[in-house]
Amino acid sequence: MSAPTQTTARGAAASSPDAAPRGFLGRSTRRWLLLAAGLVLALVLPWVIYPPVAMDIAAWALFAVALDLLLGYAGLLSFGHAAFWGGSAYVAGLTAVHWGLPFPLAVLVGAVFAMALAWPIGMLSVRRSGIYFAMVTLAFAQMLFFVVNQWRGLTGGENGLQGVPAGFFGVEAVEREAFWFYYAALPMIIGGMWLAWRVVHSPFGRVLVATRDNPARARALGYDVDRYRVMVFVISAGLAGVAGGLFAISHGFVSLQEVAWQTSGKVVLITVLGGIGTLWGAIVGAVVIVILEDQLASSGFDGIGIITGSVFIIVVLLFRRGVWGTVADAVARRTGRRPADEAVGAADGEDGR
Amino acid sequence: MNEILQYTVQGLAAGSFYALAALGLAIIFGVLGVVNFAHGACYMLGAVTAAVLLDLVGMNFWVALLVVPVLMFVFGVLLERLLVSRLTALDPLYNFLLTFGLSLLLVDLVKRQYGVSGLPYTRPEILTGQLSVGDVRLPTYQVFVLVFSLLVCLGVWLLMTRTRIGMIVRASTEKSELTRALGVDVSRWVTPVFGFGIALAGLAGVLAAPFRAITADMGSSFIIILFAVVVIGGLGSIVGAVVAGFLVGLVEAFGQAYAPTLSQIVIFVLMAVVILIRPAGLFGREENA
Amino acid sequence: MSSKRLVATAVVSSAALLLSACGSGGPGGGDGEFTDGKVTLAVLNDQSGVYKDLSGPNSVKAVEMAVADFQEKYGDDAVVEEVEVVSADHQNKPDIANTKAQELYDREGADIILDVPTSSAALAVATQAAEQQKLYINIGAGTTELTNGQCNKYTFHWAYDTYQLAQTTGTAIAEAGGTDWQIIYPDYAFGQDMDKSFTAAVEGAGGTVGDHIATPFPNDNFTTFLTKAASAEPDVIGAMQAGGDLINLVKQYNEGGYADDGIDLAVGLMFITDIHSLGVEAFEGVQFAEAWYWNLDEENRAWADRFLDETGTRPSFAHAANYSAALQYLEAVQAEGTDDADTVVGHLEGKEIDDVFLKNGKVRAEDHRVIHDVYLAKVKSPDAVEEEWDYEEIVSTIPAEDAFMPLEDSSCSMG
Repeated sequence: MSAPTQTTARGAAASSPDAAPRGFLGRSTRRWLLLAAGLVLALVLPWVIYPPVAMDIAAWALFAVALDLLLGYAGLLSFGHAAFWGGSAYVAGLTAVHWGLPFPLAVLVGAVFAMALAWPIGMLSVRRSGIYFAMVTLAFAQMLFFVVNQWRGLTGGENGLQGVPAGFFGVEAVEREAFWFYYAALPMIIGGMWLAWRVVHSPFGRVLVATRDNPARARALGYDVDRYRVMVFVISAGLAGVAGGLFAISHGFVSLQEVAWQTSGKVVLITVLGGIGTLWGAIVGAVVIVILEDQLASSGFDGIGIITGSVFIIVVLLFRRGVWGTVADAVARRTGRRPADEAVGAADGEDGR
Repeated sequence: MNEILQYTVQGLAAGSFYALAALGLAIIFGVLGVVNFAHGACYMLGAVTAAVLLDLVGMNFWVALLVVPVLMFVFGVLLERLLVSRLTALDPLYNFLLTFGLSLLLVDLVKRQYGVSGLPYTRPEILTGQLSVGDVRLPTYQVFVLVFSLLVCLGVWLLMTRTRIGMIVRASTEKSELTRALGVDVSRWVTPVFGFGIALAGLAGVLAAPFRAITADMGSSFIIILFAVVVIGGLGSIVGAVVAGFLVGLVEAFGQAYAPTLSQIVIFVLMAVVILIRPAGLFGREENA
Repeated sequence: MSSKRLVATAVVSSAALLLSACGSGGPGGGDGEFTDGKVTLAVLNDQSGVYKDLSGPNSVKAVEMAVADFQEKYGDDAVVEEVEVVSADHQNKPDIANTKAQELYDREGADIILDVPTSSAALAVATQAAEQQKLYINIGAGTTELTNGQCNKYTFHWAYDTYQLAQTTGTAIAEAGGTDWQIIYPDYAFGQDMDKSFTAAVEGAGGTVGDHIATPFPNDNFTTFLTKAASAEPDVIGAMQAGGDLINLVKQYNEGGYADDGIDLAVGLMFITDIHSLGVEAFEGVQFAEAWYWNLDEENRAWADRFLDETGTRPSFAHAANYSAALQYLEAVQAEGTDDADTVVGHLEGKEIDDVFLKNGKVRAEDHRVIHDVYLAKVKSPDAVEEEWDYEEIVSTIPAEDAFMPLEDSSCSMG
């Protein structure tokens, strides 16, 4: 389908942190500053915006980071990630309802289920890359949607699975108030992001990038490309599962929306908008889209797709680096440094068919 | 026995919509390397345009069958020139994303303009009722859809095999690197081919107008089945798209008749089986990556 | 240049963020009988998706009409001077409905939420109502769960539900001689409920249901199912699809010419807005349950005329029901002199009401099901239509007591 030299949607800044000389003080200081700023933002979020919305942002941010891990670093666009987010949401919801598990455990059970689901889907899907991969994952997610919809006894069908408790070892504040729930859930969100960051910056992550940029070469070097892809697919599904489980429990119910293809579309939108292959971008994208949707719901404007669709088209056409990538470039230019990945940007133009 | 014949015709009729639209998808993919996510939205636009033209200027079904695809061709040409062409040099995923955004935009624009409850469409008198062949009664419209789309597919096939343009398109679809290597200038044909693919989706939409609900969302689930169709048929294959389109229609009809609760899942199971056994699809060639 | 534009977007979004933070100062602990010194009614519904025409923005208008009528009626005697109407669009997404309901109750000081179509969204809002101890009156959603397993003290179900739809259409048609049925239903919660309720209703009226044919959802091709149903040569095919799927099915029923074979089509759930957008031709002769019809009598028509002036369109049952629910809530507040939720709930429980929407209406205290007379309607033939929206002929009226689930069958316990 595509020539071996062709790269898939690229993680612009993906490889750059490692490409930069280690121990370069400015860069590492900046990285720490960024991390500190991110943490502060995460901590004050429910003070500045309505706590349930803050929780939505956190969940979507982790979901987008999970997708970015796959898209930005392995070059695989999954258009069926709702299967893992939603599959985990249902399992987490069910375990919380029927077994009364405290929510962190319920979410973990959900995430494990998402990974178990991702294994066979990943095995089948990685047989094709590029666009095929997107279509195949979409179709598998749709299959799960139908199963969930039909299996009414378990899932409540279109009524959804209602009355999911947010059990937290009897701590009333967390169980009842969105504000405190956010802080109880935050460690899992940040833990998930940290894991994604670890994966990216591990030898495993570097092999991934290699399989993305040049699968044939990676194969020639003796790497089992498919195996790497399945592994990152499963990890990504697990993180999406954590996000989906937390989302469901924070809302107190799970609905079909969670496994619908529009949810897969939304997370792709968030990731691309924020900036593919940057991890940070996924977070920025989640902040923008969730707040936008929330504001539009009360604005009286009845065409969300017109706004998100147009913004998305503009981003894909003009700012393929996304919000994060574009801003990072601008900052780099202003500080007189070479933009992190001009080379990649130029290569974008050359690797056409 | 009668029932089996009935289900077969109904399945093939349902498959006609998939076959026509998938054919458009396959041709566009072949020449541009783009998977058009907005194909479902274009199918919807075809139906909506037919309904709007009927309402505004009283254009009847038969005229719409000609005019709407032409309009959709123009729409496709504009789309290719203004948006898609800017990204063809890049990874094809970007165009996949672009057309995804486009489908969100188109669906909501239609919703705002023409409402959410659907548009009315008067069916042509001559196509109502049922045809009786012996004991078997078949809805006239279904038979018409089937015959009509078979003729269109045949026409496209002749175009592909008997004309120079067709040869170039087919060659670049099925052996793109080779075609380029031989110095054939494919680029001239990119824009019209894109328009042609969109026109086919629009045509499927017009055919759906008398028969299905005309709403902004009508293409949303259609596109997902369409993806399954091209995966089953093999993305790079024109014949594969058509055969898989009809095949999926049949699977759907018999699934609905004998295992209704599973009928939607069956298609995806079929897809999974195909990927397992022949990753490139029934008619596709093996990937060289 | 390009980066500037994005910075601008970032600024805008952070401004929005700040705005939302500022605008959301919690309700001051107002003294006396009214929290924050006013009554706030919130309409939470679908203002952009499939239920936009049925309810949507015009229901907000209807609620505003109720407020105006209330203020006109009581003038200076009104116990509360300021009545505010707010609204939000849940886009048919239950998670947005959930967050918005929470926000409306705790940040916007809403005393009551109205409408909320889509059953998963309605159930989520009902849970919020119970948690926040504020009222919720459902109009748009049809699930009987709200007055059964998932009922609660603060939630009322005003207009229609699946049981009532079946009771109306199934019983009335079977009693009129259409006894031999085939049911085609979409295979998800709503459709399965409808299938069960219809079967019970038809059999209760002495009819029989042959096959129960499950169809996928969503689905655009019903020909196989219609063929299968028609092959049994029934009197009636009962179709339980809704929205776009229903239109698909009706179109394909018409294409197949089954009406000529004497097989009638009865529809489980249909709205006047469906007829309006598709035209009477498409639905001619179809029978369905109607919770309210604008052209039924003088009273309805007079209100519908006012509605037409306000909105430029005729009201659906949902618009009238939103009006009625808002008005009765305000009447309860007026009678009790407070917006305290428990007091208002206490006032409404067991109350008998007659207004433009509720005929012989009563709020059942035990399960909060509001019962009222409902109708079996038949779509007119195109020649019989005298004006726009004049689409329905009311075939029969089903008295309130017979139309809804009997109390003894309800599994609701308010606890």
